[in-house]
Amino acid sequence: MNQTHGKENFLRLIEENKRIIFKICNAYCSNKHDREDLAQEIIYQLWKSAGSFNSDFRFSTWMYRVALNVAISFYRKAKNIKAIVPISDDLVHVPETSGTHHIHEENINLLQQFIHELRELDRALMILYLEEKSHRDISEIIGISETNVATRISRIKEKLKQRFANINQ
Amino acid sequence: MEEKNIVDIWRSYDQKLEESRILNMQSWVLNLKNFEFLQSQKAKSVLNRLTTGKWFTVILGIIWVVFLVFLVLNSLTINKIFFVVSAGMIAIITGIAIVVYLKQIFLIRQINHSNSIVETQDKLAHLKLSTLWVTRILFLQCPFHTTWFLNWEMLKHAPTGLLIFQVAITVAFTFLSVWLYRNISDKNMHKKWFKVLFGGSGWTSLILAKDFIEEIDEYRQDHIA
Repeated sequence: MNQTHGKENFLRLIEENKRIIFKICNAYCSNKHDREDLAQEIIYQLWKSAGSFNSDFRFSTWMYRVALNVAISFYRKAKNIKAIVPISDDLVHVPETSGTHHIHEENINLLQQFIHELRELDRALMILYLEEKSHRDISEIIGISETNVATRISRIKEKLKQRFANINQ
Repeated sequence: MEEKNIVDIWRSYDQKLEESRILNMQSWVLNLKNFEFLQSQKAKSVLNRLTTGKWFTVILGIIWVVFLVFLVLNSLTINKIFFVVSAGMIAIITGIAIVVYLKQIFLIRQINHSNSIVETQDKLAHLKLSTLWVTRILFLQCPFHTTWFLNWEMLKHAPTGLLIFQVAITVAFTFLSVWLYRNISDKNMHKKWFKVLFGGSGWTSLILAKDFIEEIDEYRQDHIA
């Protein structure tokens, strides 16, 4: 993997894509301590798996695979040990910047909450959809057909629309 | 709420993360400045901890088998035939369990997080479920734990009542171990005896693994019900 040979390259790529790691950690962990542990595990696994990176693909696509796999395993391990922390307990809520943005920020938090309520695989699918990955990319990352991706995304979106509609009523 | 709006909300989340400097405040990002943490993280890694635990069990198992073999080799007389057969069988069954453990370690090392999510998670869940194999095999030792201390002299002079009790116990343990060997499987996981046998957390993790395998299978199907 030419791109990530050496620590400087690796750190640069992580730095450029740290938002991805952060959003995945926030989607799979409810408390700060777990999020930090997960982020470190993801970075370690990225470093360890660097040799399997195929430069024909985009770094971010490979990164999503590794990061989501690690996040799902981490989440499932935590699920075995303890009951899941209520979703509203310790999510990273985006702080309000001014009163005029209040509704917008409420929507962001509501979307995060909705993502937390999804099953592990649906959650991965939703994150990829929101990150505007193509159906083809999502199908490669998740390992299911493009038709399957389209059907599942459409179902999740429907649920999400209903959720927002109920809130706005 | 339109599709575009949902994606817009997510985009603004991204933007806000930058504006609010949440990313810069996270200690894991600061940790990146010290590259050495990747080395220390190796020890903390979930899969590494899993293999370390299994290696520890394998080493203890090997010590136990070597000890049993040593005792068996030093007891090869007709008077100690019960001990030789019992300890020998316990050593063989433990040896088989060690081989299964080594296979699991090999499979853990084969886990590649850069494979697709469905493929990797399916392997991990099946790996978890494979712990059932070790338990099944180890239960086959049970009857031999009721016979290793017997010898011909003891049997010749023992009262009939004690002999009947001894035979009853050994037969009961034989039936129980064979029954458990045949019935410890994912098909019986939801039964009460299974839950008692594996304890609370052990049972929960097996159930979660089985449910996840079913979820993955359902996820692979193109025609969603």
